[in-house]
Amino acid sequence: MNPDPESFLPLQPAVFHILIALADRDRHGYSIMQDVAARTDGKVQLSPGTLYSSIRRMLEQGLIQELSVSPDPTSTDERRRYYRLTKFGRRVAAAEAERLNSLLSQARATGLVAGM
Amino acid sequence: MQPTAIYRALLWCYPAEFREEYGREMAIAFAEQLTEARQARNRSREAFVWLHAAADIVTVAPKEHCHVILHDIRYALRAMASQPAFTAVAILSLALGIGANTALFSLWNGVLRVWLPVRAPEQLVMLTDPDASGVSIGSQNGQRSLLTYAEFEQLRDHAPAFSGLMASQSSLDRWQVRVQGSESEQAHGRLVTARYFDVLGVTPVLGRTFDASGDHTESGHIVISYPYWQRRFGGRADVLGKTITIRKATLSIIGVTPPGFYGETSGQQPDFWAPLRMQPHLIPGRDWLHDTGHDKVMWLHVFGRLRPGVQLAQAQSMAHSVFKSGLETYYGTVSDQRRREFLNQSLLVRPAAGGASQVRRSFSNPLQMLLGAVGVVLLIACANLANLLLARGTARRREIALRLSLGATRSRLVRQLLTESLVLAAAGGVAGLAAAYAFQRGLVWMIRQSDSNFQMRFQLDFAVLAFSVLATVTAAILFGLLPAWAVTKADAGESLKERSQSAPAGQLRWGRLLVVVQLALSVPLLVGAGLLLRTLYNLRNADLGYAREQLIVVRVDAQSAGYDMPRREPLFRELQEKMRRIHGVLASSYSENGLFSGRDSGDEIEVEGYTRTGKNDQGSRWDQVGPGYFSTVGVPILHGREIVESDSAGAPYVCVINEAFAKRFFAGRNPIGKRITTVYGDKRTTHYVAGVAANARTHQLRGEVPPRYFVPLTQPLAEFDGVVFSIRAAGDVAPVLSAVQKAVRLQDAALPVLSAQLLEERLATRMAQDRIMATLALAFGIVALVLVAIGLYGVLAYSIARRQSEIGIRIALGAYPGRVVRMILAETSTLILGGLMIGGFLAIAASRLITSQLYGLAPHDPLSLSAALAIVVTVAVAASYLPARRASRLDPMSALRQD
Repeated sequence: MNPDPESFLPLQPAVFHILIALADRDRHGYSIMQDVAARTDGKVQLSPGTLYSSIRRMLEQGLIQELSVSPDPTSTDERRRYYRLTKFGRRVAAAEAERLNSLLSQARATGLVAGM
Repeated sequence: MQPTAIYRALLWCYPAEFREEYGREMAIAFAEQLTEARQARNRSREAFVWLHAAADIVTVAPKEHCHVILHDIRYALRAMASQPAFTAVAILSLALGIGANTALFSLWNGVLRVWLPVRAPEQLVMLTDPDASGVSIGSQNGQRSLLTYAEFEQLRDHAPAFSGLMASQSSLDRWQVRVQGSESEQAHGRLVTARYFDVLGVTPVLGRTFDASGDHTESGHIVISYPYWQRRFGGRADVLGKTITIRKATLSIIGVTPPGFYGETSGQQPDFWAPLRMQPHLIPGRDWLHDTGHDKVMWLHVFGRLRPGVQLAQAQSMAHSVFKSGLETYYGTVSDQRRREFLNQSLLVRPAAGGASQVRRSFSNPLQMLLGAVGVVLLIACANLANLLLARGTARRREIALRLSLGATRSRLVRQLLTESLVLAAAGGVAGLAAAYAFQRGLVWMIRQSDSNFQMRFQLDFAVLAFSVLATVTAAILFGLLPAWAVTKADAGESLKERSQSAPAGQLRWGRLLVVVQLALSVPLLVGAGLLLRTLYNLRNADLGYAREQLIVVRVDAQSAGYDMPRREPLFRELQEKMRRIHGVLASSYSENGLFSGRDSGDEIEVEGYTRTGKNDQGSRWDQVGPGYFSTVGVPILHGREIVESDSAGAPYVCVINEAFAKRFFAGRNPIGKRITTVYGDKRTTHYVAGVAANARTHQLRGEVPPRYFVPLTQPLAEFDGVVFSIRAAGDVAPVLSAVQKAVRLQDAALPVLSAQLLEERLATRMAQDRIMATLALAFGIVALVLVAIGLYGVLAYSIARRQSEIGIRIALGAYPGRVVRMILAETSTLILGGLMIGGFLAIAASRLITSQLYGLAPHDPLSLSAALAIVVTVAVAASYLPARRASRLDPMSALRQD
């Protein structure tokens, strides 16, 4: 049985970015780096060290899993290792998003930031 | 060099596991990042990629290492918990080994290395000999050990090299004191000059210390130590103003020193410090503040701080010239030749960060030896643990083989196994610190048997902590590396195929080698213990030249009871008569210095018919004795007669010489009737030799008996303040001892009896250090033997387990049990013989180191060596016999089924 997702919060920014990158499809490491950079307009650039250290930890925690076969049949590069978000990983990512959302609401309520 | 090649090189900073798992992916990601940046022709982005890769090395790589280490530690803890018996044995033996080492190191550190707990101790210098203590009356040639108060005053007032100079009583005395509103009790105290605390840079925790100007007037103040304040006054603040009466002075408490401060002498904790100017009231009947006549009273240590910019050599020459000119003025009136002799003195200024110490010199050598011995015990314990781990590794071979076949590298497994050893050693080290605390207290207690003033607390300072951490890590590597290396060497496939749990030959070979090492190391320990035990036996049975049993020694001080010189000798004669009448007393007499009292006298002499040849035959030791002294103590007179009652002040001056004196100064001549002239300054006293006594040990147990001559107290060579009575008792000595003390009290209640004990008790104190050494060496030897027995038993048990089928076949083919036992013992004998031979050489090489501690035997004592070897053989054979016998009773069928 997986532990309570709340016990993982707050997530480290790199971990949360990786979870978001894997939310819509399975990706290999470099694809995760590209996706994170694209979504943040290049403001967040994961380094290989940070990426794979996080992946190692997330695999141990059961947030993601490694795929045994490549999900992209067109890919000729068999060296690539692909990762997929687990159900539990999805719950943890949702819990983190909820936490950030609640924080944002509080900031809005006190007039710290403008409402949408 | 290609960028990816550089990146791959950087990957070596990550743990091997991580690198093997993700290194390839990381290198691809890095290469793609770099290609993208280059295609965009964006230089800064390219630099950014490199910067990130470098930053990963300092941020991500250490984190990954921590992750692996934590993982290994968790694994190690689980492994330890799964084998509680092994873990307990390992931790216990390590705790004992590391604890004993740490305790001895802490003591060694405290006695020999520690700096005084004062401000900037490295700036302190000492003008006296740090090892000297006591009171020396007369004059001294060569380098001065202690100084007189007058000499201190001259240096204080005329040597500008020092920013401050202070003096302290060199011995820590036990005083009879009366705290305001309480009964009389004992306390340890020291007399010091006014700037004592100021020069040491000590700020009181309560109240104040002495006025810096107080050396010129008598002051009725006293400063107490923190432990005394806590112990005697419960740490109350109203202690200030309370009075303490010591002999003829009543002093009021003005301050309390900070915790941890013990003064200028390491190993001693005074209860109080009293002003030195009060000496005439605190030690009545003596003037130790002024130099009068030719006799200087040298009793002080002098410490100073150098003025900024002044070098040690400058201070040395300045202090020496002040000292020298003081001597020249002082001895100005004596004849030229005498003056030259008196002036042959020098002063040495030396760094004094460690302060004075009474135990440093005498314990330095023994402590270093014991530290070496206890280190060997730890080595043996490590060899034992290595053997246990090898055996355990055998049990874990399948697990290790499985991990190897699943792709774990050997270095990864070695790292894992070494982490287990480190965790085990760390647990042992922590337990060892607790053990060290207990051991150190035991050691201090043992030292106090020979020096009752000795005090030292166990302090976990940086040096002690560093030592124990070092000992722990060294132990872990020593006992962990070999098994880790050996058990991971096995071929994975072979081990997995093996069904039995037996050890492979390679590991057994290592196990045997470790046993040989253990055997070899235990031999020098046991030989050392044997030598020291024989030394103790020899000392206990040393021929003193008289019977040591039932001899009571009692020191009576007439001077402090107010007796002037002419009344002292008659007082002692009267007391002698009274003691002789006590029931159970066979004989009674007295001498100024007594037996093994620590006091001695010596002077320059001229012997009739003897021409001096060198420097060593200019003087002799002497003593002043009462009538019947030799017959009372039991020293035979070889020629002539002993000192008798008719040798009065008016009779011709006579003396008795010992054999050593006769041999050196009268070689071959008849000494009876010859003149011996004692020269001291311009004073010359001549005695005629009336008798020759046999050599007797009265001062030292070791070494040659030096030449000595004895004059009647009625015809003295120098003034005396008291004497030591020697009383020969018959039957039970306890009632005699109390009757003697009562007789002194009845004579004059004011007469202080400074010590009253059996000579045997006094000698036991003298031998305490030898006893400590012998006891500890024996303890270490026994521990080493037990460890060796365990090691040998373990290795044999495993080797037999491995050969069960072979032994089973032999028994099935009709081998008798006795033959199986003999076969195994014969194989073991190679180990034992190898260990003994190496051990014998080690012992012979090491015994040279303890020569100075021995008495009455040579370091290559064949008895000690053969006894040690015999003991090791007996224990080793006994430890081998048990598994051998078990093997001989194997059921052949079940043994064959095993494999």
